[in-house]
Amino acid sequence: MLAFLALAAPSARAEDYQLGHGLDIGPLNIAGYSDLVARLPNQKQKSIDLDDLSLFVTGHFNRLFNPFVEAELTGLSFVRSGPAVDHRHRDGDFVLERLYNDSYLTDSTTLRLGKMLSAVGEWNEIHAAPLVLSAVRPAVTFRNFSEYTTGASLRYADPYSQFPDLQLYFQPTGEFSERPRNITAHQYRSVEGAHVSFPLGLLDKFGLSFQQSKDVFGVNQSLFGADVHYTLGKLTLQGETTFSDIGNNGTRTARDTEWGVYTAASYAVTDNWSLYGWYEGFADRTSSSTAHDLLFGIAYRPQPAMVFRLEYLQNIGGRPVNPTGLTASWAVLF
Amino acid sequence: MARVLLGFAILALLLFSGAAQAEGLLIIANPNLIVVTPVPLSQIAAIYLLRVTNWPDGNHIVPVNREAGSRMREEFTTRVLQQDNAELAIYWNEMHFQGKMPPLVQESEQAMIAFIRNVPGSIGYISGSAPPLDVKVLAYVP
Repeated sequence: MLAFLALAAPSARAEDYQLGHGLDIGPLNIAGYSDLVARLPNQKQKSIDLDDLSLFVTGHFNRLFNPFVEAELTGLSFVRSGPAVDHRHRDGDFVLERLYNDSYLTDSTTLRLGKMLSAVGEWNEIHAAPLVLSAVRPAVTFRNFSEYTTGASLRYADPYSQFPDLQLYFQPTGEFSERPRNITAHQYRSVEGAHVSFPLGLLDKFGLSFQQSKDVFGVNQSLFGADVHYTLGKLTLQGETTFSDIGNNGTRTARDTEWGVYTAASYAVTDNWSLYGWYEGFADRTSSSTAHDLLFGIAYRPQPAMVFRLEYLQNIGGRPVNPTGLTASWAVLF
Repeated sequence: MARVLLGFAILALLLFSGAAQAEGLLIIANPNLIVVTPVPLSQIAAIYLLRVTNWPDGNHIVPVNREAGSRMREEFTTRVLQQDNAELAIYWNEMHFQGKMPPLVQESEQAMIAFIRNVPGSIGYISGSAPPLDVKVLAYVP
């Protein structure tokens, strides 16, 4: 249907293609990103994977009709070697990431209906590999909450950034086009939450999150979180933390709370090269021990839409959530 | 004699840089746009930072930038948006992933004017103080 609308509409945005800008066809923009990752963990299976090949289409028609759809191929392994202790499905899965419409009720208020990313922290909403800090994703940025909401969201963003941005979201029954169990830690039924973000600069912000959810087993979860992004010249500091109270858990979990925190620093050595590192502590509900991980990496960004990364993660305590070892990646926003 | 020549050189440089600064920026839009002018620079910045996406008549705004590295873009980024170019590139990529289209790019002043004339809802900027025909002037930045 979007293709039909594109052909029917006047070509308003024709221009030469530029990497990262997508392709404009009438009122539609077709873009995407890819993430090729080589994993060399010390203990587990080594692999070269196409972690993501994502396409997203943005449409702008009028105040009320502004559709967005994103679908991706995820977890496709090209090469595997070593002990097959990683039982994840690695033949690739097609996933409908987002499908929604934005209606601009006023200059500052938007109603979003459909399947969208949940506003918990900063990483989840900009999780495309070319946009985030590292190839390995800290567990606290995705593992212990519903990453998606299928329902409605009301979003307030002051045009002049004088007041905090606010998002309220609600999922009544379940995730549309639910992701298979092999690529998600938990599957959720009802979700509701809020995120407030205090702008400190163009990229800098401080945010607070709340999410109440019930998973497919009927387990209730109340999550509280905070996130920060702050730039000091060439040094950027960022981090996220969440704490979840898990109710009526029965015997499915090892503990009735779950928490995590990651704190990161990156330093721009030149316009193209940067060094980064993070620490994460993560107390997963299924494990009685708390994982502690350290990561160090170097990134080369020949242009804003492309990044090469080489990083090493070391588990320094607890049962690992991310394995110790080397990771290299090449991510492109196109 | 050398000191006199050096004095003249410095004076000429000052005059030249003064003339360049006096050239100013014209913020222009499609001639069919109905909007009260002058439009405050804070509103123009909000448009380019994608925090305002529709004109008062409901039409979608199509912001247009000059190419990265051009002097006009540097001027506009510094004087109107009051931001850093590298941070803006990151910001626009993030916004693009969240469904908001970054400004388009036109690589010459002539291309910018032609685009603005022809595309409803478009907004851009050019150098100078004398507006070309068939565009609407939203603001002048001296």
